[in-house]
Amino acid sequence: MTRIKRRRRTKISLFASSFRGAHSRLTRTITQQRIRALVSAHRDRDRKKRDFRRLWITRINAVIRGMGVSYSYSRLINNLYKKQLLLNRKILAQIAISNKNCLYMISNEIIK
Amino acid sequence: MAAQAAATTFNGNLKKALAGLRRINLEGLRWRVFDAKGQVLGRLASQISTVVQGKDKPTYAPNRDDGDMCIVINAKDVCVTGRKLTDKVYYWHTGYIGHLKERTLKDQMAKDPTEVIRKAVLRMLPRNKLRDDRDRKLRIFADSEHPFGDRPLEPYVMPPRNVREMRPRARRALIRAQKKAEEQEQGGSQRKGRKREAKTEIAA
Repeated sequence: MTRIKRRRRTKISLFASSFRGAHSRLTRTITQQRIRALVSAHRDRDRKKRDFRRLWITRINAVIRGMGVSYSYSRLINNLYKKQLLLNRKILAQIAISNKNCLYMISNEIIK
Repeated sequence: MAAQAAATTFNGNLKKALAGLRRINLEGLRWRVFDAKGQVLGRLASQISTVVQGKDKPTYAPNRDDGDMCIVINAKDVCVTGRKLTDKVYYWHTGYIGHLKERTLKDQMAKDPTEVIRKAVLRMLPRNKLRDDRDRKLRIFADSEHPFGDRPLEPYVMPPRNVREMRPRARRALIRAQKKAEEQEQGGSQRKGRKREAKTEIAA
């Protein structure tokens, strides 16, 4: 009867308790918004990996271009692969933020 | 005192120069000065747009605006190659039917040379919500005076570029123009041929 419906719906509305306006108050919209939220989360778990890699690449590019004439991210990666250095972009971006000179030293070693 | 004296030499556009400065928070930004004298328009605008976006910093984030303040001076001395001075046309539509307006680069430089660079840079920025804020960080001045003398300014050094060698026809025209200029200097008559003069300026 009503008990069962209410129990099911309170479980769902707990998920949507922080949503804005009618999306956290009306039961039918709550179920819809919960589904949409979960779909977005599922899709964006894969997107997150792509987005962060993009961000790291942009940051590395920004720092590397300050190094010399016409040195760029693409050349850096080429040199990395040629010297078989296994640093990934995440680490390179962290190095770029925290300690720029360290990245310059690494890239100078790689160029030779 | 000297800064105030320099600031009040161009009272007309002082308001425009300082407009909206309060809206830009985060004064951890650098102030970079670009000298547009003798620079090619598009290449300069490309560098300015990377700096204004903050894409030369390792702490770049696409959702927040972290670009440096850019001051461009000598905007009236910016160069273009080819026949763009007469042939590049800026179009805009006023919204009324049939009212497509146009203006050539030459007229725009005569009217307001800062708009040329501003349009170029603005059209190179990504069209998102941060575009207007980035526009506010751009200050362009036609001559070489600006009211920001008291700030810690950093001149921006343009990256070196390999200029393409002149095409044979253009080179022959250049040599002809130089010979003509020498003859006219000796003759002492008026100087003609502004286009060829512009080509010598670009090639040099």
